[in-house]
Amino acid sequence: MSPEELESALRTLLAERYHDHHPFNLRMHEGRLSPEEIRTWVRNRYYYQTRIPIKDGIILAKAESPEFRREWLHRIRDHDGDGPGDGGLELWLSLAEAVGLDRSEVERLTLVLPGVRAACDDYVKLVESSDLLTSVAASLTEMSAGEIMRERLAAFERHYPWVGEEGLRYFRSRTVQAPRDAAHGLHFVLAHARSDEDQRRCIAALERKCEILWRLLDAIEAAHARPRLAPGARLRVDPAGTGDLVVMAERAIRLSPSGREIVELCDGTRSVEAIASLLRERHPDAEGIEDDVHEFVAGLRRVRALEAA
Amino acid sequence: MSAPRPWNLVAELTYRCPLRCVYCSNPLDFARVSDALDAPAWCDVFEQAAGLGVVHVGLTGGEPSARRDLEEIVAGAARAELHAHLVTAGTPLSERRLEALAAAGLRSVQLSFQDVDRDASDRIAGRSFFEQKLDCARAVRRLGLPLTLNVVLHRHNLSRVREIIALARALDADRIELANVQLHGFALRNAEALLPSRAELDAASETVRDETLRSARPEILFVLPDWYRDRPKPCMGGLGARTLVIDPSGRVLPCHAAASLPGLEFWNVAHRSLREAWEDSPGMNAFRGEEWMQPPCRSCPERFRDQGGCRCQAFALTGDAAATDPACSLSPHHEVVLRAREGAERAHAVALRYRDATPG
Ligand code: SF4
Ligand code: SF4
Repeated sequence: MSPEELESALRTLLAERYHDHHPFNLRMHEGRLSPEEIRTWVRNRYYYQTRIPIKDGIILAKAESPEFRREWLHRIRDHDGDGPGDGGLELWLSLAEAVGLDRSEVERLTLVLPGVRAACDDYVKLVESSDLLTSVAASLTEMSAGEIMRERLAAFERHYPWVGEEGLRYFRSRTVQAPRDAAHGLHFVLAHARSDEDQRRCIAALERKCEILWRLLDAIEAAHARPRLAPGARLRVDPAGTGDLVVMAERAIRLSPSGREIVELCDGTRSVEAIASLLRERHPDAEGIEDDVHEFVAGLRRVRALEAA
Repeated sequence: MSAPRPWNLVAELTYRCPLRCVYCSNPLDFARVSDALDAPAWCDVFEQAAGLGVVHVGLTGGEPSARRDLEEIVAGAARAELHAHLVTAGTPLSERRLEALAAAGLRSVQLSFQDVDRDASDRIAGRSFFEQKLDCARAVRRLGLPLTLNVVLHRHNLSRVREIIALARALDADRIELANVQLHGFALRNAEALLPSRAELDAASETVRDETLRSARPEILFVLPDWYRDRPKPCMGGLGARTLVIDPSGRVLPCHAAASLPGLEFWNVAHRSLREAWEDSPGMNAFRGEEWMQPPCRSCPERFRDQGGCRCQAFALTGDAAATDPACSLSPHHEVVLRAREGAERAHAVALRYRDATPG
């Protein structure tokens, strides 16, 4: 492919797979998220924000050229600022405060959903295990970031007026930074991905990155789904044991006592988040109970014992 | 050895069926097996099964709805607290009948399709029932019962996998099982006419991958056939491990095809308790554990995954039920499968033989 063809292949990929099409993002921009959903998104997306400068540090360490490093260093600056109270992470924390979250709770990362954590960690791992060229290619989702930030800014001003102007500064800053970063990254990829093999690897890396962003929103969306037993699935006592079972057309699943407690709360009216906090109240000392609830429900949804109401 | 707990009962209520599919998995001599158990006898079997730990019953055949007492049988399964799952070809099964079955406690339905249009379906089923199947699927969903479509894949419908999935979606099925044809039973008699080429299979798996990404509904189940993978299909967690099958005559078997295995003695619920037939019959114990295995399975690290493959396929292709399944590339008989594969690469027109009552 010529550089122009490669660029258009990358743009086509983004047009099809970038997370602006994700149902959760669509609902956000249409003004259909509840304040709880906005808060879950802000709290979880903060984990992604914290991974960005770490990933950029890894990329920096792969680069031989001072010119490249000088340019890439901007990104870390943008996120971390020049001192306390400055930079993108700080702006995200003001968004967190503006939507009604406790700043220090967000910073401690204790309530990050396991699916979000896994997706973000996969991004860092992807960059760690890639060479410079493909890790830069993976960052090219920024080519679509300027646009999504502009839409988001407009959507928040229009649909979520309860989030004060002060909270929107991150989006505003990114509408400028993302296109600049993207231009540099794209220029680098087009200049260095010359062989078919390299071009193929760049496209694959960007595809993986799109998948990661998609999974991140999947996990957030799943946390607000209101699960209930799928039609045809039934909770019953195990006739040949002491425990409980979910029995359905294709399989039977053995439940532990805590599994049963979760399934009983899956009545189609409570979100997984709500079930997790209810169980936290019931078992104040149980370590990692929120993660367990999210993972357990995700597992039962995968085998279709539970469905979203 | 001590018998494990059975979870699942496959109740073959009758071998009668209005269709004559060319890959039917009933025994070749199905016509000699009569329906010996009446509804009260099946209900009694269900109570006994629940006592052993069974939680699920697949009501199958032949065509289970050919039995006029199916409602009574379903009610018995519900009384025993078994999940009653009907495996049907969709005929003779009116909406009224389905309503009655649902009222009796039916919990889910699996409906077989042969293809996506009438002519192609008729060619495989040997009879014309396509519209009835569509009506049946719609009636099942109107009643709010979970619906699985089951389609056996072979060289005559593999290129229509996308349309088959689209049909499942249009019928609002919860799940679709795309089952590649196996090399035993009636299908073996038609192997040459049914096996698809590697290229056809690869194209189909690609399509399945696309469709899986496209939408979460229906759930799609597709496994490359064992004769192309160099490893056999795992055998239900082992024969006599989780599932028990009762054929229309009341024989208790470890697998729907096990009656075709020679020299095995199975017991009948007419003469023994289900517990005895499950735990102690020689046929049921013949392939439990790994004592029975021959080399190379005996010392193979993969034996816990696949249990040495399918006993019925091993017997059908080697004449020895304890042999390594020839689908495995480590089997000394693997060349039988390689030859079948090569045959599938050559374009050819071979006549299909329908399921009929004269074995051979
Ligand atoms: S040798 Fe037997 S156990 Fe090993 S992979 Fe082949 S069939 Fe399975
Ligand atoms: S022996 Fe073969 S047909 Fe029988 S259950 Fe095992 S794999 Fe299936």
